Amino acid sequence: MKKEESRQIVFKVQRYNPETDSRPHIDKFVVPVTHGMTVLDGLLYIKENLDSTLSFRTSCRMAICGSCGMLINNYPHLACHTQIQELHASTLTIRPLPNLPLIKDLIVDLTPLFEKHRSIKPYIMRRDTSEMDNPTAEFSQSPEELERFLQFTYCIKCGICVSACPTSATDKLFLNPQALAQCYRYCADTRDDGEQERFQMLDTENGIWHCHLAGACSDACPKGVDPAFAIQLLKRRLVARIAKVSTVTEPAPVVPPPTQCKPKLPFPEFTVKRDPNAREG
Amino acid sequence: MRNSYLWLAQLVTGVLIAITLGIHMVWMHLDTILNFLGVELSDPTSWISMIQRSKEVIWVVLYTMLLSFVLYHALYGLRNIIVELTPSSRVKRITTWSIIILGIVAFAWGSCVPLLLLSR
Amino acid sequence: MRQSQPRRKNYLGLVGWVWGGNYKIERYLYTLHRITGLGILLFGVIHLCVTTFFRIQGQDVWESAMALLHNPWFKFGEFLVVLAFAYHSLNGLRLIIQELGFGMGKPTPPVYPYRDSLRKNRSWTMTLVGIAALIALLFLYDFLTGGW
Repeated sequence: MKKEESRQIVFKVQRYNPETDSRPHIDKFVVPVTHGMTVLDGLLYIKENLDSTLSFRTSCRMAICGSCGMLINNYPHLACHTQIQELHASTLTIRPLPNLPLIKDLIVDLTPLFEKHRSIKPYIMRRDTSEMDNPTAEFSQSPEELERFLQFTYCIKCGICVSACPTSATDKLFLNPQALAQCYRYCADTRDDGEQERFQMLDTENGIWHCHLAGACSDACPKGVDPAFAIQLLKRRLVARIAKVSTVTEPAPVVPPPTQCKPKLPFPEFTVKRDPNAREG
Repeated sequence: MRNSYLWLAQLVTGVLIAITLGIHMVWMHLDTILNFLGVELSDPTSWISMIQRSKEVIWVVLYTMLLSFVLYHALYGLRNIIVELTPSSRVKRITTWSIIILGIVAFAWGSCVPLLLLSR
Repeated sequence: MRQSQPRRKNYLGLVGWVWGGNYKIERYLYTLHRITGLGILLFGVIHLCVTTFFRIQGQDVWESAMALLHNPWFKFGEFLVVLAFAYHSLNGLRLIIQELGFGMGKPTPPVYPYRDSLRKNRSWTMTLVGIAALIALLFLYDFLTGGW
């Protein structure tokens, strides 16, 4: 499509109002699409011009907040990150993210996602709590140690991996790919010492062992976080621990105070000399 | 750490089955294999060779091990499939216990028959 | 936020567990892994029953059972079980290696276009599947040219 051209694309959007409807239904809208329009632009056009009761979440429109995840043509995407042209279809079917409870129209309840994320304790845990409560210096971590988990810190908690996961389709209590990948991010962080506590959550009936490496989560992730890779590395950690071949190291120490720097410069001389014996006034 | 041990046992029994079942398959088809080389061997599924095998301790041990590995690996896999499909914890408990009982019964039946015949 | 109304369930369910419409090939390889596993379990149960029930009844029953089992339909069933075992063991080997994270490279900061670790290893995965298909063809040839 040239920059000036405009095409009519049909948007089939799933609607559901819990106060009036008993089941969801599909509404059709015709949207004029120009070069460079994203699906989010199309939905905003619908909301502004065609049907202002259409509800969806959106915030940053640049794929960093993770609000606008939806099922677009049967694949979970971020609406702000998906150009209408790249779908190569004249009809777009937009449905809310599956495997999460539906509130209204395209809005899903992300509370299960956040609860499972919270359950794996996504914060640095150390035994020396004195340092955590009253920090004196930074923890030392080399760039190589950072590279081992940096990729998994880019998660924006959008919930798309949960929608893509085949195990989440039937197992409601399964710890999501997102929670498992974040669990690895904290276990692999050299500053952290809480692996043993987190393994209690992973080893449960619906924990990590229901993941069977379908890889759909990594394929759908809009930020390239690759949660499947994190989950397999986490399995390796777990197996190494129970087979007693793990190299359990101490968490990263605090950076010691510098001993090699120059001594402090002396206080500079006053440019205006004051005679200590002179009388005031 | 129970589930981790069970999953690791699934891996380990898988590898062990590959080895012991390989031995079993090769022995069962040794006559066809050796026929290519021109050597004649008696049919291993015949009554005589089977009775001879059941008198040797090594075969009894091999078959008992193979039976136990296969039962664990297959029944754990079956239980996982059922447990992943239902959210109800009651159904999960019932399937787990019935599979454990089934496994014990099958192992007892499968191993007592050759052991009885070994002593005969 | 009104919590009084229960949220509508939005799960894909069993259909989504089998065919989500957008899973990559590794999921279907795993579904086939489970199906072959169940097939081998079924065969194992029948095999256990045959080798125990018919054995304790004496030589005549055993020999007649063996003669019955040389029927072409049973031979075809055995052929299917051999295929299932070949695929299940090769895929199982791949799963052991990949699920423990060996050979998948190192985590690298994501640069667009994102290539996840499974996509990078897809050539190895398809090689293993190809070997299983080759073994299947070999056994098919052996089955068709008689001797079973």
